[in-house]
Amino acid sequence: MPLWFARGLRRGVVTTKYPARSDPSAASLPTPPAFRPGQLTVRAVDRMIAECPGTALSRVADTLVFDVGSCTACGRCARVAPQAVTPSGEFELAATARSALIKTIPIRGEQR
Amino acid sequence: MKPGPDETATAEELRKRIAVQFGRSLHIRTLDTGSCAVCEQEIRLLTAPHYDLHRLGFFFTPAPRHADLLLVTGPMVRAFEVAARKTYEAMPGPKVVVATGACALGGVYQSDPFVYGEVDAVLPVDVWIPGCPPSPLALLQGLGVAVGRLAEKTPGLTFVADGDGDAT
Amino acid sequence: MTTTEPHAAGDIRDQLAGALAGLGSLRLEHDGVTTIGIPAGALERATQTAAGTPGVRLADMFAADGEVTVLRLVWAYEADEPGYIVTETEIDGDQYPPLSDIAPAAFVEECEIYEQFGIRPADGKPLNRVMLPPYDGAKLPTLGHRPAQPPAEVHAPHVVGGQAFEFPFGPVRQVGVESLYYGLVTSGEEVVDLYMFTWHKHRGVEWRLRGKTMHDAIFLAERAEGLSAVAVGWAFAAAAEAAAGVTPLPAAARTRAVALELERLYNHAAATAALCQATGLSVGQAAAEIALERLLRVNAAAFGHRYLFGVIEPGGVSRAPDAEVLRRELPGAYDELRRTADALLSTNSFVDRLEACGILTSEQARRLGLVGPVARATGLATDARLATAGPGAPYTGHSVNVVTAVGGDVFARFQVMLGEAAESARLITELLDRGTAAECSLVAPRAGTGLGWAESSRGEALAWVELDEDGRIARARLRPGSARNWRGFDDACRSQNVFTDIPIIEASFWLTVAGMAR
Repeated sequence: MPLWFARGLRRGVVTTKYPARSDPSAASLPTPPAFRPGQLTVRAVDRMIAECPGTALSRVADTLVFDVGSCTACGRCARVAPQAVTPSGEFELAATARSALIKTIPIRGEQR
Repeated sequence: MKPGPDETATAEELRKRIAVQFGRSLHIRTLDTGSCAVCEQEIRLLTAPHYDLHRLGFFFTPAPRHADLLLVTGPMVRAFEVAARKTYEAMPGPKVVVATGACALGGVYQSDPFVYGEVDAVLPVDVWIPGCPPSPLALLQGLGVAVGRLAEKTPGLTFVADGDGDAT
Repeated sequence: MTTTEPHAAGDIRDQLAGALAGLGSLRLEHDGVTTIGIPAGALERATQTAAGTPGVRLADMFAADGEVTVLRLVWAYEADEPGYIVTETEIDGDQYPPLSDIAPAAFVEECEIYEQFGIRPADGKPLNRVMLPPYDGAKLPTLGHRPAQPPAEVHAPHVVGGQAFEFPFGPVRQVGVESLYYGLVTSGEEVVDLYMFTWHKHRGVEWRLRGKTMHDAIFLAERAEGLSAVAVGWAFAAAAEAAAGVTPLPAAARTRAVALELERLYNHAAATAALCQATGLSVGQAAAEIALERLLRVNAAAFGHRYLFGVIEPGGVSRAPDAEVLRRELPGAYDELRRTADALLSTNSFVDRLEACGILTSEQARRLGLVGPVARATGLATDARLATAGPGAPYTGHSVNVVTAVGGDVFARFQVMLGEAAESARLITELLDRGTAAECSLVAPRAGTGLGWAESSRGEALAWVELDEDGRIARARLRPGSARNWRGFDDACRSQNVFTDIPIIEASFWLTVAGMAR
């Protein structure tokens, strides 16, 4: 199949070097949110919890409980509280314990 | 989930065995417990030229008998439970179960009459890979973690951003 | 391969709507959808009238429970201005006239309605199992009244010279494909019959959507069939918009169309890769996968998600594409696919494998109400993008070329997909030139019903919703293209085909199990 052989040679290598090296395409992947404690208020957190279509967000007293495992990176929480949420940029999220995916973030913003 | 006779070793010993036995060559069987079909598309791309799973010594196998790792998608539809258990039990130990995608991790469907809501309700999961869907890069990282070749990052991540917007 | 103009067949709509309204009463006409109430006594006659009108096909049939069970049939008409006629019939008691004798396209829906609502055609013929598993089926909630007896298992009678035996295959199948159970009836190599069950993936999505706001529901609806997230999401959002009397702004509607064409492109690339895999052409598969990966990266760069989740929102769209990135990156990615396709079409061993494989006639496609490339490959020029009223609005003025082929075999379906990919690349450029935006009109809570549609890569996706006064879902009907087309798969696999043809035919249909088993 000289047609395919020549095409392949011309095409060159597209294979990623990941995990040995980082891959630039990762930059455009959607990632779970990171939260700014100083911008989180109980009211904003409760709005984000109502907005989350899954089960990734909950609140215990003054702590935001974020289940990264349940997060689909849909971005809805960021849309209702843009000052408090930013993309984490993290996509390497595998865990050997489910509990390692549950994160607690303190709510330190001032109530209006 | 009750450990079977192959899993009486402690988790640490098991991990060491896995790193030795699976670190160089690993056979993966996939299992769809009710996905929306997108996780499967990302998994198929693992053998595509951009990702080339084989260069890492990982291979897909259709036979559970030959498989070392079970890569599971979907929220474990209850009607699928029998098929899921049979596939798992057909795999000889040592074996690793990797649940991949938000559905498999309990993020999309909650337990109700149709679904268990997460794979861990039926099969003993060893590694969880978040994402909707997890991209092939995320899957590669998850497989690396599963065989002890890559260190996990999640325990060290806080998902707290400081005031300048940089995330840790 | 030919591109054809849509049906210019006089005023089918007026003729049919008039005939049906004569049997019942016209209730509503809005944006390409005519709703007509038909009394139960006239339902059989109405179905005969509609099924007998050339250029009309049964697009869906479903029921909803209220004080009384209401049976709805959705008829699509091909005309200069295609659209839909929805007939609504109240069913008192647990039987209604046998419709699949008149419209075979209704059989699977009759089975589904029996499982969910306990009402059945009056002819007493056995109905197949669709969504409820054979064990513990009684424990699953239904959308209406539980059937008095579980469905029987019945499959097409098969006659073959010599011995034939059945063997079950699946639901755990080859690596990296969805779970699907087939019963294969064979005399050795030849496929005598093939029947499928998808109940092991049934997630009860329609049941789960009840009581949700549209904003919460769209998240689940686009994950009913994730490979058609834009199409199913758009059809669903459009149904709610029709119910609430809302029209997305033109720039937002164009954003939806851009996303839909990108979805079509990557799916056709994925189908090409699957065809190469099924025919054992690893090099072609690799080339098609390179094109697919590049297209997915274009999606991520333009819309923030490789599979375009989270773009459609009731009322409009939540994101606009990065037009500059899209203009820069898409031509190269599409070109990758086009060059791969050209090379494949020059590879005789590949083309030979596809020709005369998995043949469907246009008569079979029409009888079963098939949609998408599967139908167009038999010569039927049906495409939901031509229905430019309602959700089809952004396609107005772009003269979508409906790509058809003759022969109805795997090769014809492949040709249709390649033609559509070229068309999609062109449409995206045109739509971007007219401008896109991330705009969302407010969908105020109000009671109503509405029908929505979008042409997914695998065929017309339909959705129908009934909203209550709080704007919450009382009944949601999702009908992805896969739910229409799987019934053609049995026919395509039968007769002259052998086992190794099955994956090839499956790749050429490029459906999903999730879209059937939602």
